[in-house]
Amino acid sequence: MSFWIFLGILAAIGLWLVSVYNGLVGGRNQAQTAWSQIDVQLKRRHDLIPNLVQVVKDAMGYEQETLTKVIQARNAAVAASGPAQSGPAEAALTQATRGLFALMENYPQLKANENVMQLQEELTATENKIAFARQFYNDSVNSYNTRRQSFPAVLAAPSLGFGPMDLFTMPETEREVPKVALR
Amino acid sequence: MSATTDFVAAQKRNRRNTTLLLVLLTALAAAVGYGVGLLVEGESSGALPLFSPVGVAAAALMAVASIGWSAISLAVGDRMVLAMAGAKEIEKADAPQLYNVVEEIAIASGVPMPKVMVLETDALNAFATGNRVGHGTIAVTRGLLDTLDRNELQGVVAHEMAHLANLDTRYMVVVGVTVGLIALVCDMLLRTLNWGGSARNRSRSGDGKSSGGGILIVILIVVAIFAPLAAKAVQFAVSRQREYLADATSVQFTRNPEGLISALGKLAAKAAPFPGVSHATQHLFIVNPVQHFTKDTPALLATHPDIEDRIARLRNLGG
Repeated sequence: MSFWIFLGILAAIGLWLVSVYNGLVGGRNQAQTAWSQIDVQLKRRHDLIPNLVQVVKDAMGYEQETLTKVIQARNAAVAASGPAQSGPAEAALTQATRGLFALMENYPQLKANENVMQLQEELTATENKIAFARQFYNDSVNSYNTRRQSFPAVLAAPSLGFGPMDLFTMPETEREVPKVALR
Repeated sequence: MSATTDFVAAQKRNRRNTTLLLVLLTALAAAVGYGVGLLVEGESSGALPLFSPVGVAAAALMAVASIGWSAISLAVGDRMVLAMAGAKEIEKADAPQLYNVVEEIAIASGVPMPKVMVLETDALNAFATGNRVGHGTIAVTRGLLDTLDRNELQGVVAHEMAHLANLDTRYMVVVGVTVGLIALVCDMLLRTLNWGGSARNRSRSGDGKSSGGGILIVILIVVAIFAPLAAKAVQFAVSRQREYLADATSVQFTRNPEGLISALGKLAAKAAPFPGVSHATQHLFIVNPVQHFTKDTPALLATHPDIEDRIARLRNLGG
């Protein structure tokens, strides 16, 4: 009799471990997928910016300094590796692009240019995607961390190899997505 | 951060309400089934027993039929809806901004990229279909594309993505099928009662066997008349709950209530009925495409909450 009770308890613990494990794996995978999405979108931005600079270069002859700053910031962001380096580099790039967008407001012929409009839309979309990918990454990490710190799981998570994950924090300057008037 | 917890709370409340309403509907379908079974058994035995094995069997049959019908609707329903509304799938080159906005919100929601479609009409509206994760479609009208700015479009697309993420389209198919089933069976019940009533009159003049059944028959008639109406009211209540939930989830994705608030304002001012939609699909749209809503529309009969009310709730979420 007591043998069967012992066996039942053992089976229950086994099932519980399986469900905790699967839940943690699912949460971690979701966060990692979200992280790779951030990478994809950052690369896309790095590819788009030289195109935009190329297109506006002739019209904005007097703004060489701004254009050079954008390209420098872009190259620095490409060269940066790891969240610690690329966080500030990407922030600087956003700052520089925002400056360029603001200057472009002074050139009506640019705002009417089909090519420029298209590139601006692509850049806006990419900025939004970066922001949303971060948001989703942080939400995923939050729920993963909550799950692994919640009561029964907290007993098993460390021994199953589920460490805490870090939130993607960004410098204050990059909180705001540049507002581009396209109307 | 406090705003985020508000969304979570709002979503929890809404899911609970929807579950409650679904349980209510299923119970109603089963009750009607029981009524029919009771009547059939009463007809054969000449008396109306309170407990009827045939009634229990019929109630179970109703549940099974509702599940089967739902499965078929879920398998082919969304393709039919899209064909009926005349939605055309687009590529990124056809409407880059719309396509980009859908991509953005797909990332924000963690939902796989849905198909993007456009309805060639000036009316301002949008809808989503899709019964499985990863097989969604978001359709917007040409009028909407021409009228809304980027932030507003983002709010509307996020509302539709929320329907996909919460699997509202699936919920509404199940609810719609159950309501249809209840209406069908109540109709059958009324016909049976009509026929049974005259048969009983003939048999009563013979031997006067059934005497206690009179009140039960009256109750059954009342149920058969009011059950379809009650089911419809519940269906609309579910639909309204899902609209509130989608609004809240939309803001959770965009973190920008202003876009959706401003879009809803424009939709309220210019919501026009357009061809290709019917009462069967009206609940899928962001604002009701068939009826024009005013404050005077009876709340029980509306598929969508009053737009003013939706805007007021969104302002509360944002604050």
